Amino acid sequence: MSQVFIDIGSTYFKVAQEGRIVQHFRDFNKNIYDDLNSKCADTVSRYAKEDIYICSSANGGLSTLIIGLTNSFSLKYAINIAFNSGINIIDTVLYSKIENEIAPREIVDVVIIVGGIDGTSGIFDERLLRYLDGVHYQNIVYVGSSGEHAFFKKHIDNIVILENIISGKLKIEEEELKQYLTDLYQADIMGKEDIKQLYAITANQIYSTPYIVNRSLPQITQRLDVADPFIVIDIGGATTDIHYSRDLVNDNIVSESGYDRLVFKKLGVYKSRESLVHTAKNNEFVFELLEHLNVTENILEEHSETATRILMQLSIFLVLYKVSKHHAAYIELKLENLNSIVLTGGITKMLSQEEAEEIILFFYKKILRFHHTPTIVLDSNYEIWTYGIKE
Amino acid sequence: MKVVTGVVGNDIHVVANRLIDISLEERGFEVFNLGVNTYLEEFMDAVIETDADVLLISSLNGEAEGWCRDLKILKSQYDFRDVTFMIGGNLGVGEMDPEALVPKFQGYGFDLVFHQIDLNEGLDQLEAYLEARK
Repeated sequence: MSQVFIDIGSTYFKVAQEGRIVQHFRDFNKNIYDDLNSKCADTVSRYAKEDIYICSSANGGLSTLIIGLTNSFSLKYAINIAFNSGINIIDTVLYSKIENEIAPREIVDVVIIVGGIDGTSGIFDERLLRYLDGVHYQNIVYVGSSGEHAFFKKHIDNIVILENIISGKLKIEEEELKQYLTDLYQADIMGKEDIKQLYAITANQIYSTPYIVNRSLPQITQRLDVADPFIVIDIGGATTDIHYSRDLVNDNIVSESGYDRLVFKKLGVYKSRESLVHTAKNNEFVFELLEHLNVTENILEEHSETATRILMQLSIFLVLYKVSKHHAAYIELKLENLNSIVLTGGITKMLSQEEAEEIILFFYKKILRFHHTPTIVLDSNYEIWTYGIKE
Repeated sequence: MKVVTGVVGNDIHVVANRLIDISLEERGFEVFNLGVNTYLEEFMDAVIETDADVLLISSLNGEAEGWCRDLKILKSQYDFRDVTFMIGGNLGVGEMDPEALVPKFQGYGFDLVFHQIDLNEGLDQLEAYLEARK
């Protein structure tokens, strides 16, 4: 008997069986289990629990606040690890400026503190404790110098202390923190009532979808007509993710994993539509882009299929812009070196190949001053996630 | 003693960088080598993370003048009182007056400046300087 793969998205269920993928629009008046049952009970009933694999991106993920000693090492490494563990970073604090920082108002799932190579000490003091007094957090982890362990054990209840993420040679040591964050994320998914119910139909662990997509990447060149180096842009209802090979980044991070990912939490076309429109309106090139697409800015206020398609094109443009050398963001990708851009997510069901190519050509001409683009591959069957769901 | 070293700016003189690394280690220093093409901010951050005693910047293509002029600003943002700042290599570009280079870089905030000076001679002077600071 074959297997069935189910992806629980914020907007759609995707069900893959025997090479066919069917999408179902979510009914937000029902919980996930009831909604899935009402749409796919027949399909699910044909498989044993051991043959049903589920991943989910519907829980929104965990949030983190990172406090680090420097931008170039502590914060940079912790940010990198958090991103790759599927965690949403709500703020970062440079320790030397902590007294001027305002604590986030929302509840933080996990606070990460890092600073110094092992052997250094006297780094953290009461300034940190005063700041943490104002932070509402559920978990707190320290991954800095071993010379500070006693300080943290003495002053912070329930702190988890892991291996320093900065090695003795100032390189990144990501494994322990990555595992901790991934486990936390996994526990969060499993703790959600909606997801817990799904264990009634599967005997397998339910993973987060971004983790599964990242696990699919090494197989993409064998399964799709894609050449290295490539990026995968996953544009969904709530978030947009970019998965990229580390070869495309110029920095001092040398890690064991070949692929990283960036999450743009507020660039989805359904659930985070308003923030996407807001970001678009604040981009200096967008009006030129809208003109190029033969529409006016009024389209951004419309709720039509055309408007959604334009928003999808805008999200492709904005996400490329955010990782280009013209935007001083966390990561700058060498987009001029790309051979392929793979588009996946809900976007592939609505945009045509021509529409995707048009927007990417505009980006390459206007922003990068290139007159050719990488090969654009539309994952029209939305099948990439299925490569990674079962090893 | 801990030394952070590397080549500043768009400078890929990796052989010189390696020689400095080896020479420092032979003299008993614990070396944190950031390699070539390093920004000034990265040097400063490495000093903070390692609690280093010395920052030794090298520059072979003469770009240091442009890359290091913000040193004073960066020094003012953290307590670097116990750190010795040293720069060496080929610090001038074109027809620059070599006599003016040392005071210029001292004005940027470097304690020790060596323009076209032999590596071992520079390191001897570093050791003497550190000894005198004790």
